[in-house]
Amino acid sequence: MAGATAKPEERNTGDLAKRILSYAVLILLTLMFVAPLLWMLSTSLKPNTATTALPLSWIPKPFSNEGFSTILGSNSQSPALRWFLNSMVAGLANMALILVTASMAAYALARMEFRGKRVLFAAIISTLFIPPIILLMPNYQIVDQFGWLNTLLAVIVPGAAGAFGVFFLRQFFLSLPRELEEAAMLDGANRYQIFFRIILPLSRAPLATLAVLSFLTNWNDFLWPVFVLFTPGSLTLPPGLSILQGAYTTNYAVIMAGGVIASIPVLIVFILAQRYIIQGVARSGLKG
Amino acid sequence: MAAQGIEQTGAQPTPPGAGYPTGGKAESTSTFSWTPYVFLAPYLVLFTIFVLVPAIFGLWMSLHNWDYLMPKQPWVGLQNYINLFTPGSPTAAFFWQSMKATGIFTLFSVPLLVIIPLLVALILNQSFRGRNFFRAMYFAPYVLGVAVVGILWRYLLQPGFGLIDYYLGTDVAWTTAMPWAWIALVGMTVWWTLGFNAIIYLAGLQDIDPVLYDAAKVDGATRWQRFLNVTLPGLRPVLLFIITVTILASANMFGQAYLITQGGPNNETRTAIMYIAQEGLQNFRMGSAAAMSYILALFLVVISILNFKFLSQKEED
Amino acid sequence: MCRGRPVGHGLTRREFLLAGVGAGAGLLGLGGCGAARDQAAVAQAAASGGARYTGPPVKLGFWNGFTGGDGQVMGQLVSQFNKEHQNIKVAMVTMIWVDFYQKFPGAVAAGQGPDVAVMHIDQLALNAARGVIVPLGDVVRSLGLQKSDFAPVIWEGGIYKGKRYGIPLDTHPLGLYYNKAVMEKGGLDPDKPPQTRDEYMGAVEELKGKGIKGSWVPTSLYTGWMMFQSLLWQFGGELYNKDVTRATVNSDAGVDALTWMVDLVKNGYSPSNVAQDADVIALQNGQNAFDWNGIWMINTFGAVPDLQWGVAPLPQIGTEKGAWANSHNFVIPNQPNPDPNKLQAAKVFINWISQHSLEWAKGGQVPARNSVRESSGFKKLQWQPEFAKELPYVHFGPSAPGVSEIGQNILFTAVNSAVLGIKGPKSALDTAVEQANQLLQQNRQKYGG
Repeated sequence: MAGATAKPEERNTGDLAKRILSYAVLILLTLMFVAPLLWMLSTSLKPNTATTALPLSWIPKPFSNEGFSTILGSNSQSPALRWFLNSMVAGLANMALILVTASMAAYALARMEFRGKRVLFAAIISTLFIPPIILLMPNYQIVDQFGWLNTLLAVIVPGAAGAFGVFFLRQFFLSLPRELEEAAMLDGANRYQIFFRIILPLSRAPLATLAVLSFLTNWNDFLWPVFVLFTPGSLTLPPGLSILQGAYTTNYAVIMAGGVIASIPVLIVFILAQRYIIQGVARSGLKG
Repeated sequence: MAAQGIEQTGAQPTPPGAGYPTGGKAESTSTFSWTPYVFLAPYLVLFTIFVLVPAIFGLWMSLHNWDYLMPKQPWVGLQNYINLFTPGSPTAAFFWQSMKATGIFTLFSVPLLVIIPLLVALILNQSFRGRNFFRAMYFAPYVLGVAVVGILWRYLLQPGFGLIDYYLGTDVAWTTAMPWAWIALVGMTVWWTLGFNAIIYLAGLQDIDPVLYDAAKVDGATRWQRFLNVTLPGLRPVLLFIITVTILASANMFGQAYLITQGGPNNETRTAIMYIAQEGLQNFRMGSAAAMSYILALFLVVISILNFKFLSQKEED
Repeated sequence: MCRGRPVGHGLTRREFLLAGVGAGAGLLGLGGCGAARDQAAVAQAAASGGARYTGPPVKLGFWNGFTGGDGQVMGQLVSQFNKEHQNIKVAMVTMIWVDFYQKFPGAVAAGQGPDVAVMHIDQLALNAARGVIVPLGDVVRSLGLQKSDFAPVIWEGGIYKGKRYGIPLDTHPLGLYYNKAVMEKGGLDPDKPPQTRDEYMGAVEELKGKGIKGSWVPTSLYTGWMMFQSLLWQFGGELYNKDVTRATVNSDAGVDALTWMVDLVKNGYSPSNVAQDADVIALQNGQNAFDWNGIWMINTFGAVPDLQWGVAPLPQIGTEKGAWANSHNFVIPNQPNPDPNKLQAAKVFINWISQHSLEWAKGGQVPARNSVRESSGFKKLQWQPEFAKELPYVHFGPSAPGVSEIGQNILFTAVNSAVLGIKGPKSALDTAVEQANQLLQQNRQKYGG
């Protein structure tokens, strides 16, 4: 469906005026969305005194690395690089865990028959309606029992239990033509071979989409990490930024520098994988 | 706020209307195979430990005075729930105040997040140069998490030298006074998640068969009539999805209030999620917090069902 | 303590130090080091019970909530300690107090907590009851600390169920900050801040006549809650009854105290709905004359250029003198696997910081240790001694688990709703007491009476 236009264009001056108006609105909107991000970048490069001084200026004069050096330095209170690494490790590990477990489970649900399949699928789907908050306290207790509190395991493993990945991939697997699998089975291939040699290679696009969405979700997760990670060295970026704000309340150069560090990877991922993300999001709203 | 913050505590929002599986062709039903279970096992282990068990364990906790550092967790039956409905109990006033805060936020953010993104999607839906660029720009804030957006907007909303006051020429205490705090929270949430809803609307718009528009034009329908009679009906499933997801996301609002207003002034922007987390993890009363979370969940389930029924019923008219 | 000098009698330094442990007066008898200053140092070592660390190198995790200016002071003290102690390296971690109280228990229970920490005296009972911190009886004995070394009210406040859980470092009371320039504008003597009710009411009335709202009433926890408590005690009231089974803020004393606060707003001496810190900013900007705030603000006000200000003990509005205060205390977390070396190192650390608490005082504190507070160094400080004057009548809340939460959440909400004009003082306090009593009962069941 990508790229389909809703209505054909008519060429006349009224239409031209409408187009100019549309562009104007779109550009104005773009400014409103992008300006705050540019301001964040600009502030991070100013000396702190300039961040609250009036009149405001968009270009840092002078440029200062005060903000970045404070949090990238060897100061043990706000080790932003450490947080960055933690987020990276957690994000990638969580993503991998989701891809492996969800793809296998989705394939079983899409293509295999077994006892209790309907009930299981209903159970999994129904959890999509569960407000996550009811799981907060019990999962905290469970994670504590495993000894995972204040470790990255607490932000890697529980997050892979969500139903979205299974649901998403199952939809896709259902849409694949059965003939391929049937042909392979006639050739004597077993399920494992079919899954790894036929299904997965065909699923690159949805797998990429799920990978990107999972990574982003984990990278940005806030409520859970804020409560299960304690010491400065164990935090991921979102709770780290919260701590940074608490410790440097009015030192906006430092706080914005933290924001920039947290934003750069996701913006890069976004630019490179834009298509996957947007398609993935769009697809989730449609039935098919 | 849309499905951002898909909480990694185990459950995620779903598009309603997800159908049940059309049964696959049965394999040789006579032989039992381990294969499906092997495929399912890794996910099921995670699902059981971090979704199924907690869902029930949470209920169990809510029936106790639960402080995991104390040697015993005494049974209290339904007392935690009863307390929430007993005026004069220590938790009732605060809990319903936080529910009210959640309600206010949802009430004001949802209409804005349902209507404005639709308008943006309508504009984007025409074919023109640079459409993908604009689409990406509006979506960009959404990929930044609530932490980045929260600390950024706290700075932007500072009286005097914050960008907002500066360009509006005002000197308003956006984060510490009413009603400005709500306006600020709703406004920045719209900024943050508008792109998400717009993308979904756009996909829905593109799904509408152009033939329907042509037929309407032939019938002499005006733009407005085409919108009412072709676009809106065609968007119905998407509308249902957007409304439901947005309501759920707004009802789960935590990060913005935590980072920007800290629930202030005087706890007026302390949302239900904030208060539940506070009761369980700062006041160390996890049982009480669990009970509150189930009450909130009940509300959300009822609203989702009502929402679904309401929008499905209209389709039958 | 003969640093770097060979000791007489052929003892190695280590053996000399070991001989010093608990040997008190015996050290003086050795006389190996001779010089007078060394005798003083030796006496000091004796007074500390010979807290010396002689084990293998250890790292101590040290958590506190000193974000902001006082964090820098403590950070410098920690650096100095690390320099002076070869085998102990203290790593300091700070987070805002709210985060600290939330995360500290969980971290300790998970074995990821620090080896020594600082917390407020009113949080000791809760953490003791939950098994997060350990009794310090042995620590106190081996350090040779005694009741007479500390201000009585602070020393007593660290006891829960008959055991001591905190070693006090300081106390930080509320004081009356005043803007001299504004007082002059109001026709008042800038060097005579009001100290009685009549003086205070007279002063704000004069200011009001000149169009100045002279006593802004805060509407947030800092410092509205502290202001109210000070008034409550001044009117002879108490937060709770003796065995902490009931809240008693709605007594006549409580109602009178709250009414006086509310009347400041009603009678035009304060704007209504003063936002967080707006009272401070107003004093800095010359719009406010008097601010009831904590000793921790002296460096903040001191840093404002051209501000003529001073601070005095709180005026006595009620029938007696009274001032709210809190106190930072050292605690030892309840480690799953205690390390005796770390424990010994922690003792040394606590003792050292306590002895150097004059530096800490400069950050805006009143030292708990008598010898430091009575030293000439402290008396020379400009503002801290004003707060020290309040020591005879500072109050802490009772040592019971959970009262801090009840106070801040339930009782203060009621106080605030009256100040904001939403409820009348009596009805607000009555509601709060009803809620508080239920929570008190729950706590008694949970933590044992």
